[in-house]
Amino acid sequence: MRTGLKCLLGMAVCGFSFVCSMAQCPPRPQPSTVVQDALTLYSQNGVLNAALALGHSIDSAGYTHFCYKYQQGANTAEAPTLRLNQGDHLLLNITDDLSNPGAQSKSAMDMSAPAGATCGDGGPATLQSTNVHFHGLNVSPTCHSDDVLTTLIQPGTPGFQYDIQIPSDEPPGLYWYHPHVHGFTEFQVNGGAAGALIVEGMEKYRPEVTGLTERVFVIRQQFLVPWVPGPYELTLNFEPTAPFEGPEPIIQMKQGEKQFWRVANATLQDFMPLQVWFNNVPQKLQLIALDGYPLAEPRSVETILIPPAGRAEFIVQAPPPNSYSIFTVLDYPTGPTGNPDTAQPLGIIQLSDASSKLALKVSASTVPTAGRTPTPPAATPKTSIPQTPPPQTSQDHLKFAGLKDATPTTQRNLYFSEEFAGTNGPIQFYITVDGQKQKVFEPNEKPMITTHVGAVEDWTIQNRALETHAFHIHQLHFMMLEVNGQPVANQDMRDTIEIPFWSGKGPYPSVKVRMDFRDPTIAGTFVFHCHILLHEDLGMMHKIQVLP
Amino acid sequence: MKISIRRWFRRGAAVLACLGVATGFAAGASDPHYVVTNDDALSSNSVTFYTVGANGVLTLQQQVLTGFSGIGGGYFSANRVVALDDESQECVYASNAFTGEIVGINVSTLAVGGSAYGSTTDTGITNGIGLAVNAQYLYAGFSDFSTIGTFQVQPGCSLTFVNDTSVSGLQGGIVSAMAIHGNTLIATYNDGSIESFNISSGTPVSNGDKQNSTAYIQSQGATYPNGIDITQDGHYAIFGDTSMTTSIEVSDISSGKLTKTVSYDLGGVINSSNIMLSPDETLLYISNSQGDRISAAFFNANTGTLSSGCTSSKLINYVSSWSYLASLGLENTTGTGGVLYVAEYGATSGIAMLQVTTSGGTCSLSELSSSPVVDPNSPGLLSIAAFPPRSF
Repeated sequence: MRTGLKCLLGMAVCGFSFVCSMAQCPPRPQPSTVVQDALTLYSQNGVLNAALALGHSIDSAGYTHFCYKYQQGANTAEAPTLRLNQGDHLLLNITDDLSNPGAQSKSAMDMSAPAGATCGDGGPATLQSTNVHFHGLNVSPTCHSDDVLTTLIQPGTPGFQYDIQIPSDEPPGLYWYHPHVHGFTEFQVNGGAAGALIVEGMEKYRPEVTGLTERVFVIRQQFLVPWVPGPYELTLNFEPTAPFEGPEPIIQMKQGEKQFWRVANATLQDFMPLQVWFNNVPQKLQLIALDGYPLAEPRSVETILIPPAGRAEFIVQAPPPNSYSIFTVLDYPTGPTGNPDTAQPLGIIQLSDASSKLALKVSASTVPTAGRTPTPPAATPKTSIPQTPPPQTSQDHLKFAGLKDATPTTQRNLYFSEEFAGTNGPIQFYITVDGQKQKVFEPNEKPMITTHVGAVEDWTIQNRALETHAFHIHQLHFMMLEVNGQPVANQDMRDTIEIPFWSGKGPYPSVKVRMDFRDPTIAGTFVFHCHILLHEDLGMMHKIQVLP
Repeated sequence: MKISIRRWFRRGAAVLACLGVATGFAAGASDPHYVVTNDDALSSNSVTFYTVGANGVLTLQQQVLTGFSGIGGGYFSANRVVALDDESQECVYASNAFTGEIVGINVSTLAVGGSAYGSTTDTGITNGIGLAVNAQYLYAGFSDFSTIGTFQVQPGCSLTFVNDTSVSGLQGGIVSAMAIHGNTLIATYNDGSIESFNISSGTPVSNGDKQNSTAYIQSQGATYPNGIDITQDGHYAIFGDTSMTTSIEVSDISSGKLTKTVSYDLGGVINSSNIMLSPDETLLYISNSQGDRISAAFFNANTGTLSSGCTSSKLINYVSSWSYLASLGLENTTGTGGVLYVAEYGATSGIAMLQVTTSGGTCSLSELSSSPVVDPNSPGLLSIAAFPPRSF
């Protein structure tokens, strides 16, 4: 969807509603400073118990952003990284601090309470309601787990306790958490409410990372008005980036070292081809994992494309001395009706001997928890992946093992499509099972797809729209099989995948993926959707029910 | 907030209108022949006049400032500029979506004749203000609060506000486009429904025929009527649909009311929000608004039926300069209309020019080598009109 004068409309309809609000979010780093990792919370004795609150602020540039707050003594940390082991429990208490009466006004979108919002506080779904999606985790879609259909948390209530059982065979890697209230996801993720979650143990599957200093980078995006696809700002761990020649975040490395970078694309809609340049020359990166799933073999690449919500984990070699080195995102064509995703540096890479001090790791045991669920002592902070390579573990022990050779029980065809009545709307965004009627998501709708535990399904997903979309399904990863009818070279496991725009003629672009519903843990009802969050909020989403 | 903005703009408008008159924008042509745009500019909206030269090629003649503000976008089908070729005066009326004023421009002098605005809720910030005009009244569909304003046409291309009428679709939709014929005004809503009104007394009065279109029902909401045209004899109303294909619907209105529409799916080119009948009613021109080309279907005015016709090649500079196609205009008021003009919306907006040819039951649409002509005054062109207008 293109801009027009939607900015004016947006400000008129909703943007002013926060102007008088208090600054609830922690201060964010200044431009052109050294990028710090987020506060990290570790599980202890199989449990990570933490409490976050959702708030919002307006920054000096006028951007409204939401934030996850973690209370650390008198200080408040934002969006801590949660680190757990396979088999651990995540006990996460979420409170909703969006109590500003000015935020009562709703967007131009007409949202209603999800039918059956029976988990948590219930009530209507509004800009002030929230919940959490644990993006990528292969866990249950039921209440208190990764449920976004029936869980609502409202302001002024004691909060809501998530209890996520990390499967013992969960792929080690980078995941992330963010709000997922239908109709308001984009608002709350805009510029802030997103954090990283790491399942430990990558070195067991990809020993190449053993001993490397690790960096966790979360790329966020914020618009002045969230649903207006106009100018935007990217941040790297909350530090503002700038177009070329502006002040950039500084990423420090030691001379000669390799670092293990774990990068989450937590933007609203940006497709990001990532590169590292030394003196304007793209460098080879050793790709280790995509979407939190370790690759079968490391891959040497210059460009790593991650769609909105995707993650990439890769090894970066430090630049030579006296070089101009940057971590950058390239242009990405999103089609005639897509939003421009423009090239810009994400950070300047500088050599420093102080890099070992960069990762800010604070023990959660020091954090007062008055009024909140007690947080147990945390494990000793780590500055790098374990030094000694463990025996390499076969990926046969990970979830979805054997999927390649499984016999699909069902074939389905789905497609993305759009309709515009004008430049500003109404715009209809659809994801449809071929043969069914196009319709936008309604909270009380029946599942568009019903399947059973044990099923293995091959889905071909077309893009019949003139802009690129990002397909995502909750509760499971899928295996890439084909792109545009051609087998892929690497059958990676993904949870979010780009499907390029249709040019207006010729075959529709498509991907074919294999869905694995064999795990009884994921029985229940959950959603699949476009992870361009505006599209999701406007109904490019439907339910799938997995019957026991 | 809105009121103060409106006042500010009105003060500015008065100054600009005076300047316009003082500088004397006189075309001086005794038989004016123009294609005009509503530039829909944000800070200082204007109407740009293009002369129609040999072989239908357009040349930018003059920009006339309206003194108010547009929004640079909105519904494809809302006609933001309309032409009136009455016995007593020749006018072009343009809407200013941000502030709500309707401005009349004297075609013979290319000067603003007057302006009027409706009630405090009569604005089109969300999706523009569509217009329809006859010799007595001008109707404005305001997209913010879904009202149809009635304005009385006055000498000198000025207007006076009469009243406004709140309207809404069956599902609560907003008025998107309007067309008038005789005592009938037909409106589309953005929720798939359509409605006709009796305008014999000036103010629209519903004919009680509000209904969902056939294509809307069949598609379960995925297709909905947008642009409208009405045959010369007032027998049929034709609707261009917002759709994933080229979808047209026809309703028999010979009774004075809308009847159930007959739906035509004419092919795979995406979206058909803007339509226009040729003067001889043999062709229906279809702007594939979301795509990159123009289509034409054969129309039988006796039966109200459509059949497949032709589609142009991809128009020049699609994507690189513009990304949507919108309203249509014609070089001539007879036959198939000569050169077909199409508004191109984008970073470089302009008007595409296509040669229409028919032969032996076939047709073709070929873009002229000099196409498109750029509209440097528009940040997003959606509406054009030809002067003199088609006779119906």
